[in-house]
Parts: sequence; C-alpha cells; structure tokens
Amino acid sequence: MKTDRILILASAACAYPGADAVGQAHLSYPANTFVLRVPSPVVFPESFYYDSFEKGIGGIIVMSCGVECPYEGAYEKLAARLDRVALGLREREINPRRLKLTSICTVCTKSFLKEVTDMNKVLAAEGVAA
Amino acid sequence: MSRDEVKIGVYICHCGGNISDRVDVAMVAEEAGKLPDVVISRTCMFMCADPGQELIAGDIERHGLNRIVVASCSPSLHETTFRSAVVRGGLNPFLYEHVNVREQVSWVHASGRDATAKATTLVRAAIARVRHHEPLSPIKVGASSRALVVGGGVAGLRAALDLAGFGLPVSLIEKSPKLGGRVEGLGTVFPAGESGAELIRTLVEQVSAADEITVLTRTHVTGATGYVGNFSVTVSRDTGNSSAIETEIKAGAVVVATGSTPYRPVEGEFGFVRFPEVVTLPDFLRILDQARSGGALTVNGRSIRRVAFIHCVGSRQIEGIHEPKPDCSLNLNCSRVCCTATLKAGSDLIERFPGTYVYDFYRDIRTYGRGHEEIYERASADGVVFLRYEVGAPPQVTEAAPGDAGSMLVTVRDSLTAGMEIEVAVDLVVLAVGMEPAEVGALAQTLKFPSGADGFLQEVHPKLRPVELAVAGVVLAGTCQSPRDIEESCASASAAAVKVAGLLTRGYVELEPFVARVSAERCEGAGACVSQCEYEGALKVVEAEVDGQTVRKAVVNGALCTGCGACVAVCPTRAIDISGWTLDEFEAMVDAICADPMEVAGD
Repeated sequence: MKTDRILILASAACAYPGADAVGQAHLSYPANTFVLRVPSPVVFPESFYYDSFEKGIGGIIVMSCGVECPYEGAYEKLAARLDRVALGLREREINPRRLKLTSICTVCTKSFLKEVTDMNKVLAAEGVAA
Repeated sequence: MSRDEVKIGVYICHCGGNISDRVDVAMVAEEAGKLPDVVISRTCMFMCADPGQELIAGDIERHGLNRIVVASCSPSLHETTFRSAVVRGGLNPFLYEHVNVREQVSWVHASGRDATAKATTLVRAAIARVRHHEPLSPIKVGASSRALVVGGGVAGLRAALDLAGFGLPVSLIEKSPKLGGRVEGLGTVFPAGESGAELIRTLVEQVSAADEITVLTRTHVTGATGYVGNFSVTVSRDTGNSSAIETEIKAGAVVVATGSTPYRPVEGEFGFVRFPEVVTLPDFLRILDQARSGGALTVNGRSIRRVAFIHCVGSRQIEGIHEPKPDCSLNLNCSRVCCTATLKAGSDLIERFPGTYVYDFYRDIRTYGRGHEEIYERASADGVVFLRYEVGAPPQVTEAAPGDAGSMLVTVRDSLTAGMEIEVAVDLVVLAVGMEPAEVGALAQTLKFPSGADGFLQEVHPKLRPVELAVAGVVLAGTCQSPRDIEESCASASAAAVKVAGLLTRGYVELEPFVARVSAERCEGAGACVSQCEYEGALKVVEAEVDGQTVRKAVVNGALCTGCGACVAVCPTRAIDISGWTLDEFEAMVDAICADPMEVAGD
C-alpha cells in the first residue's frame, strides 16, 4: 500500500538543525513529512529503502551534509549506494524519483521546503496527493 | 531486559502554548496511553521546568518505568535536560527518546488536526524505538585544558582574564596590531562615565601580567577542525614584513568574541559623504574625546555651535521604507546602545562646550539599562532639544542658505508638536548608527557557526543556554551575538568563561556513546565492514577461539570510532550496528509511521 507519507532521513549535524531552522522561522510545509534524525544516512543498507517503500512510505528524501559531511567518505559512499538503489527501484517498477538525495545545511530553510514540495509533486503525479 | 518487562512513560509538553496552541496534546497523550507497555502518559505545561523534570524522576520511582519518551521542543535544546531527569529517577540516561513536536510540528503546520495527527504518529514511532534502547555509558575522552579566545576587544579581554582566573591556559588572538577593540575610542563610557581608554588599559595590563594568557596580535584564524575538548585551530600571524606565520593551537574550547562593526550609512543617507560635517556617532565620540574642552568644538577647522543628532540610522529598518543593502538585507533590530550613547554625547558636548545647542531627532528613546534613564534626564536638564520623527518621515538634511545660522538644515515633521514642520540650522550632524555583526571568517565557516536572520551568531537558547553555540565547546562573548553595551558584553564574557571552565577543568569530556558495536553471535568475519571504515584502527577483524575453533570476528575500538555507520550498511549478517541508533530502531519507527491510517491534508 502506497501512502503520501514522506520519510526524511536527516543528518544530525546539518539537515536536522536545518529542519529545526524551518520551524524557528515559522515557515510552513505539509504534515505528511516525518523527519528521522540519524548520525549519517550512510548507515542504511539498500534493503532499508526497498523495505520502507514496501511498508507504504510514499517518498524518501535523504538529507545529508553533502560534501561537508563530518564523517570522512560517508557522503560518497551514500551517494554511490543510492545510485544502486535507484537501479533497484526501477527493477522493482518503483519510480526512482520517489527517492531523493540532497544536501541540507543548518540554515538551508528554502532548500528544505523545496525538497518537500518537489517530493509532494512526485507523489501527486503518482496519484498520491498530500 | 526482556520484552515483557518494558514499562514506558510518555510525556507531552504544552511548551506554554507553543505546542498546545496547535497540537491537541491531551489527545496525543491519550493515544499514546493506549499503546502496549505504556504505563503513564501525561501532559505538562513546561516539561523542561523543575516540576516537569521531577514528574519524570518521580514516575520512574513510583511506577517502575524503564523507558521514557518526551515530546517537546528540538532535542538540541532539551535532550540533555531530560536525560538528566531520567538519571535522577535512577535510570540510565540512554533509555530515553526525544520527539520534536515544536520546531518540526506545531511551528510548521497550520492545521491543528494535521499537527495533532503527525505528533501522534511521531510519538508512536518514538515508543516503538525506545523499546529497543539499551543502557549505554558515555565515552570519556581526554580534553585539552587550553581555551582559545578569538577577539581582543573588551569581551575577549574579560573572558581571557576570567579563564586565567580558573587556572586555565589561554590563547588570546586579535587580528589588529593591538588589544582593546572599539572601546578605547569611545571617550568616557556610560553609565559610570569612566574613560574607555583607561578601562582597556587596565584590562590589557592584567592580561599582560597573567602567566596563563598567551597573546597573539595581528593574528587571524584560517581553519579549524576537531570537537569539544579537542579543537585544532590554525592561525596565521602577520609578521609585519609581508609574510605570515601559520601556527596550530590545540584547544578544548573556543570563546568567540569577534565583536561588531558600526553601520556605515550609504552615500546621501542623511547627507552622509555629501556634507563633510555629517559624521557617525563613533567618529563624533573620537572627535569629542580628542578635543580640548572650553570655547567651541572645532571640526574640519569649523567652529561648531549647533549640532543635530539623528537616532536609529541603520537600525530598526523597515522593508519598503529603508534602502536594503546590496545583499537585499535590512537591519531590522534595535541596536540598543545608541540611544543612551547619543544622549550622553549630547550632554557631554553641552557641558564641555557651553553655549552649544544640541537637537536630538529621535524615533523612540530606549534608555533601558541601569543608570541609563538618568542619562536621559541629564540630557533634558542640560537643554537638549528633542524632536520626534515618524519612521516614514525621517529628517531631511540639506544645504543651508547663505545667512542661515549653520551650514546645513535639518527639516523634520515633529510629532511632539502635532506634526509641525521644523527647520533647524546646524553646523554638524551626528548619525547614531547601529551595530552590525563583524566578519567572523574561517572559524565560522569551518566549524559551521549558526547565525540568526540578523547575521549575529545565534546561541542555542536565549534563556536556557544563552552563551553556547550549537557547536559543542564554542561559546559567545560580547557583541558578536547581538548589540549590547560594555557592561552586558563583560557579563556575557564572564558567563562564557564559566561555561568553558566547567568543561575543561575536569581534564576530560564525555562524548555520546554512539559508536559501532558487533554482535559476536552474528558476525561471520567477512570483513566487509572493515573495508568501509575510513578511520584507522577503529575497526578490524581478529581471530578468536570459539568452542575450540578459530573464527574471525570484527572488533571495534570505541575511542577511534566516530559512529558514522558506514560499516553497518554493508554487513551481510547485520552483525554490526551503532549503539543507540540501530537499524532495528529505525525499522521500528518506519513500521510505526506506516501503521496508522493517516488523514493529512496539505497545509
């Protein structure tokens, strides 16, 4: 069962404070978003993404620190893994645009909102409206 | 601990309405209370206040709770607070889970129904996660006892002296050739009227005499790495002959005292640049400080008898009225000190140069501090003439006609006289300019310092952690944080020093125990994890004897592991995890998020 729920995997050092900054600025975005704080999204194996979609998650936005990741080499490993997951999603006939890797810093409020908006558009096109 | 022993306490914070104005906290608590193993589910007006914390500690003892979930503000503010409350109740601090229903729910979702539904789901996910939590112990890491103070103005000097008073070694760096900052050029300073130069001279003498303090002038930060207890800051020292020396300073904590800069009016703003006798308040204070009293003040060779002071120049700017800077920003904030400084300057001028007329053009007078109102009364008693302007009708500065009493005319629609247009001929216009944040430079860029919309560095919380940055081990002193006077700058510098002393006098810091751990039962010694690890010595495969057989197992060096989790994702048998952040926990949260039918409309 596919839902409109968006899972946001937010790095504790950058993206999670970035999501907080959106709140501190009292900006608004849809409530179908669930932010999970993680030390680094590199922790998740490929199966985590497939299983999450299987469980009903509509979209996953991986918000990392990007090249400014405090963990050496983690971002590059994460990016390579998500490339493989994108191929795996195609094989499973899941729109790979339902998974997005992005970099969000502690003050990237506009980028955060844009990513949420974009993912909701993807889900809307899939027939799951937020 | 077996699964059926789990007893969970759930607490939903109103945050005085910040959360409960949008989220139906009673409903969230009620829904949480229906979940298995939840023994207590409560709401509280302020969970972070003493009664809220005591509620947790008391419930643990009364009800034998062994897992705690609190839904409140961001974990950056109160995760540590609630872990401490859990400890006071007799539990391990890591048997705790934090849910952020303020910054990521009530402050971002307009619909109360949606916010309540989301908060309920997030609490459900936290309950699912906390079941998996296990007791953990912080990792103790040796810390450098040295403190680095960046900026040698009044706040940096005060912080360095206080740190030295705790017996800590201090490196004090200043980018200019001498210590002292801006205070030295202010003449006498309010509220007591002592000499700014004398104040700085006293502090510099004390700093020079302190064996604990190493001063590096002409020095700026070029880069920084590390973490609380173990920062490595690279500084470059200008030797004065077109060369620089790079040095590395190892420090356990950093005090940022980089100060502020006065707003520079744009050309034409109240006649600035167009008329040479339009000056900023800091420039005027320097002129006044250097002038000999008696007769008439002389500026640019001209005798000054009539002076206009204009308040709120570059402060309290309003979109659509004031001209934005090239980066489209405006200084929205009140700079706080300029009202009192302006009034004092007006009085000083009249008292030192009797016969001088002073006209004070203001939007509002904000003499907020102890002893400041007396300065306002003194200005009135000295004969300062007050004229009030509205924000949309600021005073106009134009050239005077021949025969006028001064070289410039200041015209204002004075709201104190029912909007009457008044023209004042003056010889000098002084612009009470606001404060803007100074460039912090490489330190802020490399360690990722957060700043507010006004550009000043932003503390974690204005009341609960007022001098700490979100970057652990970095504290703020003085006007790098916000406009403030000397007294307030010194107070924040002393507070910053105490915070640093609390960190560094123990000789070690405690880091969160979120590092990799290996299940010996599951590990088959494949070594995929080792190939992913970037940290030398953090992870290796060793041979061990198990039931008389030699087997290969991965082992973790917790002091070297950073807890990034790169190893976790590649283990074919799921034998490795990050303590406190296990895959089982994340999967349980996803299950909980997907579990309930959601009826969320877009905001």
